Amino acid sequence: MSELKDKIRSFVVDNFLFGNDDGLTDGASFLEEGIIDSTGILELVSYIEEEFPFSIEDEELIPENLDSINNVVNYIEKKSS
Amino acid sequence: MNLNDQILIHHFLEKSARDFPEKVALIHEDIRATYAQINSKADQLACLLGDLGVTKGDRVVLILENCLEYVVSYYGILKAGAVAVPLSSDIKPEGIGFFLKELEPKVIIASNRSERALKAADITPYNIGALILRSPKFKWDSTAFSVFVWEDFINEKGNFAPDIKIDESSLACIIYTSGSTGIPKGVMLSHKNIVSNTNSICEYLRLTNKDIQMVVLPFFYVMGKSLLNTHFAVGGSVVINNKFAFPASVVKQMAVEQVTGFSGVPSTYAYLLHRSPLADYRKSLDSLRYCSQAGGHMSFQIKDELRKTLPAHTEIYIMYGATEASARLTYLEPEHLYDRKDSIGKAIPGVTVRIMGADNKEVSPGRIGEVVGAGANIMQGYWKDKQATERVLDKYGYHTGDLGYQDKEGFLYVVGRKDNLLKVGGHRINPQEIEDAIMESGLVIETVVLGLPDELLGDKLVAIATPKDGDVNESHILSKCAQKLPRYKLPGRVILVKGLPKINSGKINRSKCLEFITGNKD
Repeated sequence: MSELKDKIRSFVVDNFLFGNDDGLTDGASFLEEGIIDSTGILELVSYIEEEFPFSIEDEELIPENLDSINNVVNYIEKKSS
Repeated sequence: MNLNDQILIHHFLEKSARDFPEKVALIHEDIRATYAQINSKADQLACLLGDLGVTKGDRVVLILENCLEYVVSYYGILKAGAVAVPLSSDIKPEGIGFFLKELEPKVIIASNRSERALKAADITPYNIGALILRSPKFKWDSTAFSVFVWEDFINEKGNFAPDIKIDESSLACIIYTSGSTGIPKGVMLSHKNIVSNTNSICEYLRLTNKDIQMVVLPFFYVMGKSLLNTHFAVGGSVVINNKFAFPASVVKQMAVEQVTGFSGVPSTYAYLLHRSPLADYRKSLDSLRYCSQAGGHMSFQIKDELRKTLPAHTEIYIMYGATEASARLTYLEPEHLYDRKDSIGKAIPGVTVRIMGADNKEVSPGRIGEVVGAGANIMQGYWKDKQATERVLDKYGYHTGDLGYQDKEGFLYVVGRKDNLLKVGGHRINPQEIEDAIMESGLVIETVVLGLPDELLGDKLVAIATPKDGDVNESHILSKCAQKLPRYKLPGRVILVKGLPKINSGKINRSKCLEFITGNKD
């Protein structure tokens, strides 16, 4: 598992699953699985903006970029390249 | 058949299935379901529920997010003569027992999203007849109740054709109020309550079979339910998008599906304005006929920004209601958005709204009293709670607990909640006035003002707000407010956060906010 994926997974598990990852897969939709709600998405956005040297535009707030660990990792890699 | 001839809720679906069988009634991701398909599945479900022994007045609990299965279940339960009780799809294990104990449901229909909570809650003791699960992830072995997989169950042929004698006064739904404080109360709505309110809403919004509604509010919330019923009543279409947490995807789909209506609560619009590319899509929303807002007071700042951001042809309807009123009590005609600033308009067709004093007499224009609504839409009462029912229902109608007044032309205004008034020093303070002043600063997306118990003051005012950008700080906000409010109305603190906690409908969760503040004392 990549370092980036580890980092995102830890953030999600620590902040939204109270440290219990209980079968959270990398492809699971945060919303459909009830892991993160709309306030949580904003927390995720703030976290990414604090940790990485780019800001997230409003039109980038879409599930394809942010609704699973895999999507977040791909999005960050794309933005950082 | 005229719309007003429909006397039971599921007649709306049946009529549209006869008039527009091949028309797409529901769009959700890759699914496009026609009226004929939905009606036929709902018939099938009604028969299958009958086979399970469900009969008139039995409660069937629905724990589903917005989806095709929800719609089929909702109308299927009603066709079986039973009572649909939708609960939040984010229900926690510790909350389930309370509902099952007081509802004594025959059947639960749920999705895999709530499966974990159902498993953890242990529903064995509650005498459930059957649990129907969509795409279950766990293995269920129960001798206490039957377990069915939705996908198999719905494709079976039910034997029991329902011939249940229900009439318009029969109980149709129990909808739990948000319960921002205290224990949730089950609002009992009859077929007549919902049918009359649905017809009234269709009339004033001038809905037709050309209307396509974007639904981001949950169907288990009374406003979401009303979006479904109104559009099925006229043979329109609903587009379900459960991903409002990603507002850009919603705006994009509104353009792609050419929706004609959008509805939300205040926070929905705050996020659309400040966390979505709504302004960039202005030119793509040429079909958007109107936006409607209900679910509590929305500051004028947001209304004004919304008016300036939406296409000129898109009308804005400000509406007011309550679960106890099947959804809707009043609406403001769009042309009065500016000249009746902050008004909730006038009563909808078939409803009377009065402002009454403590002596149960109507107060004169300009004077503040309690908002009391009457009409065929007013609930039958609270489920198994006679005392609570008697506190709010009497011969005058439903006492909303909201304080308001009427101007000389009969336009209504709500100024706050009876039980939200704060006492700061010797002053009675309405938090809504301070929230409005903070919003007017133009610096924040949303805010809530609460009273923190204080030995000297009684209540100490604390605001929590989401700033529009990272440069905004507490003193910026307070100095703007100081231009509008007297010193004693200024919050002692403004705590800045990324987003305010919400309940599922999107309304701000005041008790969670209060917990947050008490955990953040200096």
